[in-house]
Amino acid sequence: MFLEIKDLSVKIENKNILKSLNLNINKGEVHAIMGPNGSGKSTLANVLAGKEDYEILNGRINFKDNDLFDLNIEERAQEGMFLAFQYPVEIPGVNITPFLHSAINSKRKRMNEEEIDNLSFAKLLKSKASDLGINIDMLKRSVNTGFSGGEKKRYEILQMSILNPDLAILDETDSGLDIDALKIVTDGVNKLKTKDNSFLIITHYQKLLDYIKPDYVHVMVNGSIVKSGGSEIAAEIEKDGFQKFQ
Amino acid sequence: MNIQDNYLKNKKNIFFSENKDIQIHREKLINIFENDRFDKKNNESLRNINLKNFIDFKYKYLIPEETAVINNNQENSYSIVSVNGQCSSFKDDKIEITKIQDEDYDDFSKNNTIENNDHFVNLNSLFLNSGFKIVIKKNNDIKIKISNIITDDNLTIFQKNNYICEEGSSLNLIEEYENKNNSTSNILKVIKLEKNSQLNHFLIQDNSPDHNLIITTHSSCKKDSAYTQKVYNFSEGYVRNFHYSELIEANSEADLQGIFFLKNHNISNNKTFVRHLAEDCKSNQVYKGILNDRSKATYFSNTYVDQKAQKTEGYQLSKGILLSDNASYFSKPELKIYADDVKCSHGSTIGPIDENAIFYLRSRGMSKIAATKILISSFINEELSSIDNEQMAEIIQKKLVRYLSKVK
Repeated sequence: MFLEIKDLSVKIENKNILKSLNLNINKGEVHAIMGPNGSGKSTLANVLAGKEDYEILNGRINFKDNDLFDLNIEERAQEGMFLAFQYPVEIPGVNITPFLHSAINSKRKRMNEEEIDNLSFAKLLKSKASDLGINIDMLKRSVNTGFSGGEKKRYEILQMSILNPDLAILDETDSGLDIDALKIVTDGVNKLKTKDNSFLIITHYQKLLDYIKPDYVHVMVNGSIVKSGGSEIAAEIEKDGFQKFQ
Repeated sequence: MNIQDNYLKNKKNIFFSENKDIQIHREKLINIFENDRFDKKNNESLRNINLKNFIDFKYKYLIPEETAVINNNQENSYSIVSVNGQCSSFKDDKIEITKIQDEDYDDFSKNNTIENNDHFVNLNSLFLNSGFKIVIKKNNDIKIKISNIITDDNLTIFQKNNYICEEGSSLNLIEEYENKNNSTSNILKVIKLEKNSQLNHFLIQDNSPDHNLIITTHSSCKKDSAYTQKVYNFSEGYVRNFHYSELIEANSEADLQGIFFLKNHNISNNKTFVRHLAEDCKSNQVYKGILNDRSKATYFSNTYVDQKAQKTEGYQLSKGILLSDNASYFSKPELKIYADDVKCSHGSTIGPIDENAIFYLRSRGMSKIAATKILISSFINEELSSIDNEQMAEIIQKKLVRYLSKVK
């Protein structure tokens, strides 16, 4: 099993958010989690990425034969986990290019791979940016600073394509995107899909799943997965909403 | 030993002791000390400091005369090594350096608009034992680098400098304070910018824990002149930066900026004060601090706009990052506006490093320590990238790397 979440319960500030959640993802699979506001979808994404604000009450998570709780935030990233943020953080003064260069090399170092030099990295970045329709001038700017909502999401996908993760978690990547931007972003994701990597896509709407075809769709309500199945569930939600699952 | 006893004991060695007017002024200062009794509660200049270190100062009068070195290797560029607050006399057709004179003291004390309760300025006037004056002659464009060296332990330097930029002149002045002695420097700089002159003043402070540096500048700007001051405080000893500017004629500007990097039990007290006394003047006061361990800082900023000073633009900003729960930074911005056509603002934000930003960077594979360092660098990125002097940018960068190497 690539990612195995077993009986996971999590709380924050005395509020139980995830309740005995189970989820298994195999290599090469695309899973979508849909659910109403406040159902715990982003909490799950943050817990997987290692955010330290949450208290793990119960359960375990295995990722690539590691106990995930033994790895800190950066070790999870270096092991191949990537979270595309719902609200990417603006970091004025931190230039995109050296930041990403340092990020890719930290992963290579952990994998005992040779670090990528400046020139090769610049070429790689330029080519990936061009694929995503990102203007080269944007790469001279500070991380997410002054970016529009669409630019921020596109930049998340650029980082993902550079870091080439084994498991990518997309937390409401479709929110705030117009239809053209949504197409560019989803094209970027589809280009990255291989039989060796997996995706966990968190969304409210079926629209995103028209562009990225999931193998499995899960409905999450009140901190637990209440139904799992194929794309037909997404269509059902689109038609009837989440009411009947609650 | 109290202040009066100390004064009487050393009187013969203090500059201008023979001058009657100055004597009268000094007696008044002694009275201020006697009456105030260093009321820490109501005096900004005394916050966070151990008064004992400054009242029982080691007044050892060992200042050698005329030992400074002045080099003029490149055209319009001078390098000065000031020893124990002293500098040799020098004169050419562009600059003139002389020992401080009675009239320089008198000129300042009569026109002193610095509040009377700044005890460190008063101590400087009372115990003056060194100093020099630099005049940049009309229409010259000059670069000067001054290395301020203290040669001995247990020395207290009370130094007064006068810098005068004559009409149409331009001065790029870098001053370095890097001392490892167990000594105290109390320095007052009186800076005058005549019409259409410009002074870019950089102060690099990097003293060891045993060295106390109290530095006060008082600049005044005439028509169309501009004073820019940038302070970089990497000192491990106590540093007080109090900087006052007066915009006395129209269309003049003052820009007072500072960054301080504190750790361990270090303390830094900072103050900037700009008085707008004429029309169409601009000012900017920006201080940023990074505080680790149990360090403490204060920053008082103040913009005063006289009723004559219409069309004033005055901005203040204070920002701080606390790297430890035990560090503290007290900031108090003030505006006093008596004119109606002005644009003024002030702001202050102090807090720990942004945990969301740390999480974001770590989620890309960067270690916590690397993420913290990159965020500290980004906090002062604007100030560092605006240094247009390559050599200075390199010096500051090296000191920043040294500071960051201790951040855990």
